[in-house]
Order: sequence, then structure tokens, then C-alpha cells
Amino acid sequence: MPHRLGPMQTLPSPMRRFNDHETVDYCIVGVGSAGGVLVQRLARAGFRVVALEAGPFWDTEKDWVSDEKGSHELYWNDLRIIGGTHPLALGANNSGKGVGGGSVHWAAFAPRFHPSDFRVYTEDGVAVNWPISYWDLKPYYELLEREIPVAGPAWFPWGDPHGHPYGPHPLGGVGDVLVRGCTQLGIRSVAGGPVAILSASHGNRPHCIYRGFCLQGCKVGAKASTLITHVPDAITHGAEIRAHSMASRISLREDGRVDGVVYLDREGKEHFQRARAVIVSGYAIETPRLLLNSACPGHRHGLANSSGTLGKYLMAQAGNVVAGRFEELIRLYKAPPAHALSEEFYETDPRRGFARGFAVQTVGPLPIAFAKQMIAAMGAWGWGLRRVMMDYNHWATIGVLGEILPWEDNRVELAEERDQYGLRVAKVTFNLHDNDKKLIEFGKNKTMEIMWAAGAKQVMQESRFAHLVGAARMGEDGSNSVVDKFGRAHDVANLFICDGSILPTQGSANPGLTIQALAARTADYLIKQGDAIFFSNRRDMREPGIRYDLSPPFTRLKGNPRIA
Amino acid sequence: MTRKSLPVMATGGELRDLDQPGYYPGYSTLAQKNSWEEATRKTVTERVEGVPPIRFFSTEEAALLGAVIDRIMPQDDRAEARKIPILPIIDERLSRNSLNGFRYEDMPPDQQAYRLAINAIGEMARDRFQQPFLDLSVHRQELILKSIHDGTPDPDNIVWQRMPVHRFWALLMEDCVTAYYSHPWAWDEIGFGGPAYPRGYMRLENGLPEPWEKAEQPYAWNAPVDSLSVLAEADAPPEHGSLHGHGGSH
Repeated sequence: MPHRLGPMQTLPSPMRRFNDHETVDYCIVGVGSAGGVLVQRLARAGFRVVALEAGPFWDTEKDWVSDEKGSHELYWNDLRIIGGTHPLALGANNSGKGVGGGSVHWAAFAPRFHPSDFRVYTEDGVAVNWPISYWDLKPYYELLEREIPVAGPAWFPWGDPHGHPYGPHPLGGVGDVLVRGCTQLGIRSVAGGPVAILSASHGNRPHCIYRGFCLQGCKVGAKASTLITHVPDAITHGAEIRAHSMASRISLREDGRVDGVVYLDREGKEHFQRARAVIVSGYAIETPRLLLNSACPGHRHGLANSSGTLGKYLMAQAGNVVAGRFEELIRLYKAPPAHALSEEFYETDPRRGFARGFAVQTVGPLPIAFAKQMIAAMGAWGWGLRRVMMDYNHWATIGVLGEILPWEDNRVELAEERDQYGLRVAKVTFNLHDNDKKLIEFGKNKTMEIMWAAGAKQVMQESRFAHLVGAARMGEDGSNSVVDKFGRAHDVANLFICDGSILPTQGSANPGLTIQALAARTADYLIKQGDAIFFSNRRDMREPGIRYDLSPPFTRLKGNPRIA
Repeated sequence: MTRKSLPVMATGGELRDLDQPGYYPGYSTLAQKNSWEEATRKTVTERVEGVPPIRFFSTEEAALLGAVIDRIMPQDDRAEARKIPILPIIDERLSRNSLNGFRYEDMPPDQQAYRLAINAIGEMARDRFQQPFLDLSVHRQELILKSIHDGTPDPDNIVWQRMPVHRFWALLMEDCVTAYYSHPWAWDEIGFGGPAYPRGYMRLENGLPEPWEKAEQPYAWNAPVDSLSVLAEADAPPEHGSLHGHGGSH
């Protein structure tokens, strides 16, 4: 049986294999949202690339199921310790394992960040500015919207208004509630996207069938994950994806440059992949953990951590879920969980008494997730739980997605405990600060108001958090950031970080599209620099210029329409 | 001894020996399994047909936790042959030490947390009622569990001074709902569509049923008269940050 990536696509075969002692150009750690795009770009440009992935190489037909409990293995389930005033639930909530990483189980909302997100210190006097502007990233947003591609309205009125290459999806019951509630209150909303789910077939991928199991891995192949959008093209162009390979340490030479990655295979046997440069794409917990576990002479507090900021300024977004019970049936399990939203409250409004804002988005918990929400939101148990669950089809759920600012005390460190590989596990501390609390309170109340306005008879809310970014942030100043604007470590010239961990702030947009856009930009920089990365410590800080000829197949001749 | 406590129809009559509780009579997700693809059909069929044996808990521990589960995820209305296994699913997770990706810094590992809590609940029953938990009336069992649910264990126990009671409650509840609501009989009870690949859905709006789904036929019912697990409208629990193990929703 061929290795299936969705019902129409098979894994290109054979995949090139590099020998253990062969020196490759790039060793990438982690094949998720960022790693998948990077490996594809670098392979197309002719580099010799090995990408290590801790989890399996999914065969979507064999390994994935249309079932909540049966999808447990998609998540990063290994032990991590959580603490702080508001400990972050990890695992299924925000961490993927296996080729495609979290993009396998994201809901696939794909809004762009707003121009203001890149300059929050200038505009609002909080947090920090990014070392790049929205306009640097905009061409990459447009490019990735075509590559993955994004379906949505032709008129998206917030931030930098834009359209989407594929048409919007039909409205499900929850989207109907969101649009109805917003309309009642005079709040603008959009429906049918922006979401990286196909509303029409695209190359060798079918369109959505509205079955609602987006978070369990899209067997249909309609929802984008780098497993199906970029990894096949990477393999066609000679990259190797090495699954079941858990990086344990990045190796540093005496001259201060890295020369490869030590990793463990599924039997626990240690290997060393030599590389002329290393890119870490392990996301906001495993990236700092690997660098902290790579401490060595000259880098006592973790590799590339002379600033002391590695692991700090970790962010999650406020992800409160507001649930409303309606007299009529909703059947919230149908349609993609992500299909309608409002960004009317995204920007700072001084009258609200806090900086920055939030988005309001549809969510679609399946029965287990919904039962957990009822436990948290209303203390349901026993007969009360059985009863509220019998009304499952009468509930609609809308999520707040709120910007929590980067704080130094929200961080990833190493715990004393060790995992099955003998590596020290991450300890993740998360605390809410005054601005965050005010923002959450306002966002939660506004979303409840929308739910009431839509006609709900009962409204509950559950506090939770969504997404993870930060903990290895980029910046111009090497004394308070870990990497420069291209993801290059300030301390090590041939070490790069490229994933959500380099984000200095997070806006109120789901981070997936931004992470992929940043990865494409970093790839363009590496390709433009060519061999200089492998031999020189000099930093060329000029923008590389976007390459439009490196996209995977089927993305040419698509546009990003905009109704002005 | 298995204790029972039966809910009642508002129009009179106990709800007992039901093949299928809920408002969707005649609806069966399993009847649709020829429309599912092979991997999913295998996963769900094995869940229904192969209940794992108890490996992790001792006989005494299994008996006590089983009685706890009978109260916090009660199934007294279901016919014996149509009860959904919960304890074996929790036992299987613990025996494989399958984690959910994190542990609170103030919590012991899951395996230890369960053992500690089972001991604590046993001691609470003896301290308060001078009887083993298993021998207590349903109402007395609920009194103890309600105090744990409320975060104010009565009587207090040394275990709860070391292990945050609200975190254990969330862990236990979430394990229970994961077992119950992953079962196709529970999907039938609540009218959930179940697996839907490769067929998909065609009726998205207005809560319309697919041709193979059933229209809702609600009836009014009440929990057993002395039950403490009835929801009060304003019964939101105190917030403890995000709770254990949520599936991401956006």
C-alpha cells in the first residue's frame, strides 16, 4: 500500500536518505508549520536538507481516525510540568507531534496579524516592537494564502483589508449564531473564513466535506497541514524527513559555530547528524527546551542565551469559550469549527482601559471536549452532566481570542524530572498580569453579550488559553532577544530559530499563517545568502526579496482578490 | 453490591433498563458504520467489543473507584448490557501511563494521584459514616463526592492537604467523560453524528438532521429525588486557570 497523504495524494517515493555521517547543508529540528515550509523551500533551492521529527510520519488513511479519543497520538503527550497563577494546559490544547506538527490538528483559522501588531510599543507603550513591519511580511502572507491555500470572504475589513484566493465556506449552525449575534449588536463579522480549508478542490486535494473533525487531523486532505501542503514537494526535491528522531542536543564547535544535532531514534539509540547549519523549529516549548538542554562551555545558561531571554516572554492567547443554549437545534459538530469571526475589537480602544484587544471566533467542540467545557464552566457532574450533554445539539460555542502581552515571568525552564529519553523536561510557568485580566474580562463579557443577542436562553463561559508563541524572541538588540529579524541566533552565526517562538508579540490572530509566512521569508534569506551562512560570521541584514518560483505545485495563477 | 438511584419521568415512571436514554429514539451511529472508512470502523468497533481487563488497580481499589464513577457518571437508567465501560478505560490509561502532555507542579503523577484519592475517599467514608464507601447509601456517597466537587472535602483528609482537590476532581471527571462520550451509545444518547468520513454532511444550518440522523423527541425528566449532582443555574465553579486536558478548540 502506498503511503497516503489524504485520499488523492501519496508520499513521493523513494525518499532520499542521507547517511549518518554525511554532512548536510541544513539540519532542521521539527517538521511543523514552520519546519515544513523551510524544508520544502531549501530543498527546492538545491540544498541538502535533513529534517528531524520527534513523532511519526503519518499515513493519513491508516493512522488517522474520525474519532476524538482515537486521535490522542496527534498531540505532544510527553510529560511537561506546568505552574504559575494560570497554568497552561498543554498536549491536545496546543502541541503537535508527528510530521506536520500542530498544523495537523489546528482549526486552521488563518487571519493575518494587523499592521499595529508589529509596533505595539510605539502605538500603545506596551511590550516591544517587532524588528520587521507588516509590510515586510505582507507579500509572504499573500504567497502563503495561495500556497496552503486560504478560503474566505473577498472582503475582510480589518487590519490591512484583503481578500482570499478561495471562496468562503457555507455557514454552519455556530457561525449562524455568531453572525446573528454580531448583527443584532451592530458588530461587523465575516463568515466562511479566513480558514486554510479548501472550499473547492485544489490540485491533488479534495474540498471540505463539513464533517467537523478538523482538530482530529483532516483525513479528507481539505484542511492544510504542512504534511500535505509542503512536505511532499520537499521530498520530491530531495529532502529527507527523518521521523521518530528526538533531538537531544545541538553540538557546538570550539570556534563557536554549530556542527550538527545529536538525536535519539525510537529505540533510544543516539545518532549525530552533521550539518553546516542548524534550524530549530520545535515550537515555543521544545525549541527553548532543546537550546537549554544544549548548554555547554561558553553557553552555560543554554545555547544562544547570552541575553538571558531564552525561554522568557512565552505567550498564550486568552481562549475563553462562551457557550450558549438555544431553544432550537444547532448541531455544533457540523462544519469546520473555524468558520466565522469578528475582529471589531482587535485594536486598542483607550475607553476600555487596557491595551490591545481580541477577536471573536466560532469554535466547535465535539462531545468529549464539550463535556470538559461543561465541567469547567458549570461544575457539571453526575445527573446534571448527563442532562446538559443530552442537550448537546442545542448549544453553540464562541471563542474569545485575546492578546496577552509578553511578560518576562512567563517562561520555559528545565525541570529536574526527565522524560523517556533521559532528557530534562520543560517546566512552563504562566501568570496573568493586570492588562491581561482586564482584557479577558472585557472580551468574555462582550462575547457573552453576542451570545445573548443571538437569542441564547442560557450562557456559560469557560476560561482557557489557546496557542503558544514567544520564548525565543527576535529583536534588533542582542541583549534582550535571542534571534535577529531573520531568525539567526545573535550568539551563533550558523544557528537559526524559525517557529512561533520567535514572535515578540502575538496580536489576536491565530498564529499559524504568520509562522508559515515568517518561515518562507527566512528561507528566502538563507537561499539568498547561499554558502555565506556556512562559512562566514558576517550578518547581512538586507531584505532578501521574495521568491515567487519556490511554491509547491498548484499554486500558480491564483490571486488574492480584494473588494475595496 | 451495586447501588442504584433512578431518575424519573416528569409524567411519572422510573427511567430504568433503557437500551438508549436520550431524545433520539431509534438513532444509531453504529448502524452507519458501513459509511465509515476502515481505520475508524476498527477503532470504534474495538471500543465497543473489547473492554480491557483491570491491570492497574487492585480489586479493592477498582471496587471503590467503580462505586465513585457510578455516582459521578451515573448510568442507573441504562440496561445492564448497555452500560458504557469507564473504569476499565481509566485503568488502561494508567496501566500504560499514557499522559495528556502535562502535569501541574503541585500534583503528583496521575497514577499516584488516583491511588491517593481512592484512599482518601475510603477514609472520608469511615470518618464520617463509620462505614466503607461501598456500603454507604447513594445519598451518603454523593455527600462525600459533592464535598470534593465543591473543593471543601468533608471530612477533610490529609491527602487533600497535599494534593489540590479541585485538580484531582477535574482529572477524574475528564477521564470519565473521555470514556463515556467516546462510546457510540453515548453518541446515540446525545444525537451526535459520530464519524463522518468519507461521506460528510450536507445539512449544515438550522440544526437539520441528515437523512440518516433522527429528529429530536425531548421529554422532561428529573434526577433521583435526593440526588446532589443536579445543576444549579448559578453553580459555576471557582476559576483555577485552565483546567486539565482540554482539546484545543481554536
